[in-house]
Amino acid sequence: MTEHLLDAKGLNCPLPILKAKKALKDVRVGGTLEVHATDPGSVADFVAFCRATGNELVESTQNTDVYRFVIKRLA
Amino acid sequence: MGGLATTTIVGLGGLIIGLVFGATAQRTNFCTMGAITDLVLMGDGRRLRAWVLAIAVAIIGTQALHASGAIDINQSIYLTTNFGWFGAILGGAMFGFGMTLAGGCGSKTLVRLGAGNLKSLVVAIILGIVAYMTLRGLLALIRVQIESATNIDLKARGLGNQNIGEMAGGVLGLPAGAARTAAAVAVAAAFLVFCFKDTAFRRSPMNIVAGLIIGLAAVGGWAVTGILGADDFNPVPLASVTFVSPVAESLQYLMTFTGSTVNFGIAAVGGVIIGSFLMAVGTGTFQVENFTDRGDMLRHFSGATLMGAGGVLALGCTIGQGITGMSTLALGSVIAWLSIIAGGYLGVKYLEEGSLSGAVRAVLARG
Repeated sequence: MTEHLLDAKGLNCPLPILKAKKALKDVRVGGTLEVHATDPGSVADFVAFCRATGNELVESTQNTDVYRFVIKRLA
Repeated sequence: MGGLATTTIVGLGGLIIGLVFGATAQRTNFCTMGAITDLVLMGDGRRLRAWVLAIAVAIIGTQALHASGAIDINQSIYLTTNFGWFGAILGGAMFGFGMTLAGGCGSKTLVRLGAGNLKSLVVAIILGIVAYMTLRGLLALIRVQIESATNIDLKARGLGNQNIGEMAGGVLGLPAGAARTAAAVAVAAAFLVFCFKDTAFRRSPMNIVAGLIIGLAAVGGWAVTGILGADDFNPVPLASVTFVSPVAESLQYLMTFTGSTVNFGIAAVGGVIIGSFLMAVGTGTFQVENFTDRGDMLRHFSGATLMGAGGVLALGCTIGQGITGMSTLALGSVIAWLSIIAGGYLGVKYLEEGSLSGAVRAVLARG
């Protein structure tokens, strides 16, 4: 179960990352944020985002046109 | 050259370079706007380094072509003695700000269009129309006023062009050729060190490949127009990859096909879209996207407008000035490139803060 959900469907780079960065501030350390997006570029973006910010990308899946990311806040 | 007209040969060359550019950008995620946002939002400088590597490669290749006598880079629009410093600053900042709103620069818009993004189709059309308005239409009146009020005539100051090496050489009393070579070596070396001293970039083959191929595409463009296009009677203008005016010319070309002749830029625009389309289909990433809300639509419209007008005023975009112009080491290109980055930075802050005043405050607070 994720505690926070961010709907970034229909938005393109850099907005999904920008909104995720903001939303992550409200997540407790150890907690998770689930992001839904439709931009194919967001797949690579979230890998880079988690790598660069020291958070964990727990899940990155695609269900038809929607990409689903689960980020665990570590930092 | 055989039975083909020079314009056809140059058009084919432009198409091939566009195909390579589009396929590469689609596959590697090369993005000049992403380069800035990655750095600002997550402190990841790898895509910025891919861009800087492309510039270094373009400088080395272009200056080598010039030094060998294969092309005369002084004939390009970037090195002209009509020095538009203010247009480079204002237009560059407008372009940079606009690209963050529109989800990418001119070339990225074409790449996303090829991969099925219908928002990018709208951005490309608006960018093209506004660019044409700024080149020849209503907005051209304002542009000409700005240019005549601020442009500096370098010839009147005894300078033959605006190459930073030759300008510095003139002050220091060095011969032009040596000063130009020294500047090219110094800038390219500094950029290469900036790229490869970073461990994360060295471990990112995708970004290294992107920088190499995109840089070589700019060099290839000079070779196509300068060598293949060097017809004794009817030479084509010396040019390379750039994506503002050519988008406008492409729209005009589509509308007036029978009365138009293809040029390098138009062919390259088509090539980028097709190259990206083929790569997206081949890698299973083609996906139709559309506007979902009014805010998103307004952002894309305003971004496209700013890019169209700013790109013409600055004589180019993140690719046109940021790589092709930089490869000539023109002072105007350096100013335009830095202004685009500054505008892009302000654009990200605007998106983060939600208002222009908030963005300015955040920039001043270095937050």
